[in-house]
Amino acid sequence: MNMESDLQVFALFWMAGALVMLGGLLSLLSKSSKVTRAGKFMALVGGFSIIISPWTIPSSPSSAFGHFFGSILGPTALLTLGMYNIAFSGNMSVERLSKTERRNGFIMVFLALLWFEGMHWWQFTPTYQGEINPYWLIFWATLLLVSSGFTTSAFVMVRGLGDQRDREQRLLLVVQVMLFLLVFLGLQVDGPNVLASDFVNEIWLVGADVFGMVVGGGLAILMFTFVIFIYESQSIEPQVLHPPTEEELKQAVSILSPHVSGGAEDE
Amino acid sequence: MNEQRGHSIWFTFSSLLFMPIVFCGLTFVIGMEVGDGGFKRFSNSLLTSYTLTSIFLLLTLFVYGDTRKRPIAPLIGMLVASGLGVLITFMMLSQGEMLMEDNGSVRAQALSNIIRFSTTLLAVIVSGLLVGGLVFSSLMQNSDHSSIGEEE
Repeated sequence: MNMESDLQVFALFWMAGALVMLGGLLSLLSKSSKVTRAGKFMALVGGFSIIISPWTIPSSPSSAFGHFFGSILGPTALLTLGMYNIAFSGNMSVERLSKTERRNGFIMVFLALLWFEGMHWWQFTPTYQGEINPYWLIFWATLLLVSSGFTTSAFVMVRGLGDQRDREQRLLLVVQVMLFLLVFLGLQVDGPNVLASDFVNEIWLVGADVFGMVVGGGLAILMFTFVIFIYESQSIEPQVLHPPTEEELKQAVSILSPHVSGGAEDE
Repeated sequence: MNEQRGHSIWFTFSSLLFMPIVFCGLTFVIGMEVGDGGFKRFSNSLLTSYTLTSIFLLLTLFVYGDTRKRPIAPLIGMLVASGLGVLITFMMLSQGEMLMEDNGSVRAQALSNIIRFSTTLLAVIVSGLLVGGLVFSSLMQNSDHSSIGEEE
């Protein structure tokens, strides 16, 4: 790769990635609505630049991520919208959505899941430059692995904290069984594009990725807590004032009493 | 009471990792040739996750600074912590075969690690959306209760 394309990759992919991160942070953490809007705009521009990277920087290996990102955008948007429609057509006290929107929500979620499944078991597999997009394979294996973990955790939480939540427990159990079957089938049966042996290897490697992520993230949070603890423990304690004297209290009463309705009679 | 709460937090956290461990175990039962590259992926993921999370937390310190007269000490502390992550990553990657995968240079491996971390993060977010959305929807449809954990 020559100098020019290195610069192109830096500007069109890595700078765009930094824009997404910075824009996301600004829109999440800023209190000013102007800054929040600017953050959202930055994230949008960065995300768009990443998605079109297969056309702008096709020779760079990083562009495969842009292709993957574009490939999952459709089903993810459908899933998000569908979940929103289902959740907010329930027993909401305000802004409750209609039954039609609830039905649309179910259709959207079903289509999104079918789309994701079609990527593994049908011809929708994201292929880039003649090969299965490696990032999609990582994404799919991680999605199944982590969803399964989240489902177990949610089951434990609902069982431990909830009161008469049998319906939710049954739902989570069904989801868990379905996820297990999907992974087991993937490990045993070859898809039209994804071989079972590749999927076995990917699940193992993705497992290593997820555990590494948990440990690394945990260490960073521990370090952050340590830094804040050290700073807060070294800060000077605020000066404690003496309690007011009898004379000061009398003076306060004399100032306050004309401004309090009812006055002495109520007291 | 606190001890019970501590136990339940640990139990919930352990349950989060239970199924991924089961699936990884299953890959060993099915294909004995797996395991090659697992250590590299774990180490690369750990270092990348540590470094990127440290940088993210460093940026959040600017919000923390709003309530604390913009102190410099925690910023320097987190800057050192993030710098340490970058330094260790590059040191480990420079050791040759130890953490290098199919990439030609240390820079390419580091960038590849960042992209892989982003992919994993996206998958975690979509998983959270899927499972969280399902539970939340189910809770909202149930008219008998308004919130979980309101009764003990």
